Amino acid sequence: MTQNNRERLRQAQADAAKQQRLNRIIGVGAAILVIVLIAVFVGVLMQNQSQQAVNSSSAITPPNATSDGKAVVVSPGVAKQGAPVVELFFDYQCPVCKQFESIYGSTLNTLAASGDIELHYRTMSFLDASLANDASLRAGIAATCADTVGQYSAFHNEIYAEQPATEGEGYTDATLRATIPARIGITGDSLTTFQSCYDKQATKAFVTTMGDLGVQDMQTVTKQVATPTVFVNGKNLPFSGLGDPSGLLDLIKQNA
Amino acid sequence: MTLGARLVLGVVLMVAGLLKVTRLDASIQSVRLYQILPWDVTAAVGSALPIIEIAVGLLLVTGTFVRVSAVVGSLLMLAFIIGISSVWARGINIDCGCFSPGAEVDASQTQYPLELLRDTGLLLCGAWAAWRPRSPFAVDNWLFAPVTEPAEDPDPTIADDKEPAR
Repeated sequence: MTQNNRERLRQAQADAAKQQRLNRIIGVGAAILVIVLIAVFVGVLMQNQSQQAVNSSSAITPPNATSDGKAVVVSPGVAKQGAPVVELFFDYQCPVCKQFESIYGSTLNTLAASGDIELHYRTMSFLDASLANDASLRAGIAATCADTVGQYSAFHNEIYAEQPATEGEGYTDATLRATIPARIGITGDSLTTFQSCYDKQATKAFVTTMGDLGVQDMQTVTKQVATPTVFVNGKNLPFSGLGDPSGLLDLIKQNA
Repeated sequence: MTLGARLVLGVVLMVAGLLKVTRLDASIQSVRLYQILPWDVTAAVGSALPIIEIAVGLLLVTGTFVRVSAVVGSLLMLAFIIGISSVWARGINIDCGCFSPGAEVDASQTQYPLELLRDTGLLLCGAWAAWRPRSPFAVDNWLFAPVTEPAEDPDPTIADDKEPAR
């Protein structure tokens, strides 16, 4: 009888130990799961919040932005009736965009000023992701802030001159908020307005959305997200046809 | 062996996650560039991915629930491999993001095989750790420690058939 009791006791102890082991495993597992879930939740929430904060506080839409928020118009209001809409997708950190700009930039500007085309600049900032910085976004903010003092295309035309030779180094704040404005003659009150816009990142929401919409449109039309890309009346302009800048208007008209 | 596989995959995941977690905007953006997931889903995936990477990396490094975390880590690698292959097959140039006639396309195209090789290696690490989850220096060794049997067990069969042994 005592033998039997002792056995039963031992059995109970073994069961208790097993139960304890199981509880330990379940407990630790559940704790880890809860921590990870909370971390993910907090991460997504914070991301949403930061987006909203940008959207609400002192947000500015550049005066020459298109109403759909996809672009900023160069030489607004002078395009002739039926002039083809030319959309240039670029990223200020992209070396090939700088190359493209140096060859065709002034021609595009002239055509826009004469009203032969309606020129839309669509600033992308997706290179930030691959270059692990935020210089494309900041350059985009700076350029659109320059629009608030009427210097958008002047600013745009000067940015590439300051593009760091090594891709990924990025533009410094000093370059964007002081050097370039000084060069294109933003001074006095205009400079104060511009710098306050830049420092508050007032156009960040606009630039971010402009980039998102641009990526979406490129994905839809060309199945490829790349800069520079040119759309003429919403269709991709194949770069294979590009030659001397003097033939650019004809090429645009052919593809309109 | 398993210890090595665990540490390699775990450390890589942690580093990858930590690099991205402070820049969730960029993380979302890079998920978008793969053009696989619907636009609205990318925001959630882009925010959650770095955190999950860090968590799985930590579990692997500390050796906690090695089998489960190795499976999750392997699935992540598999997803990356599919993503990169798909992007490569569609001829999308993600790394530079530049339309580039000539040299730069060649340079970036050679990067996809390298990335695929790296992720395949990591996938193998994960698969190994999932197949043979036991290794030294692991929390699992404490967590899943077998119940210490009483010194003289009169009838082991009774004790054992209530629960399947781990």
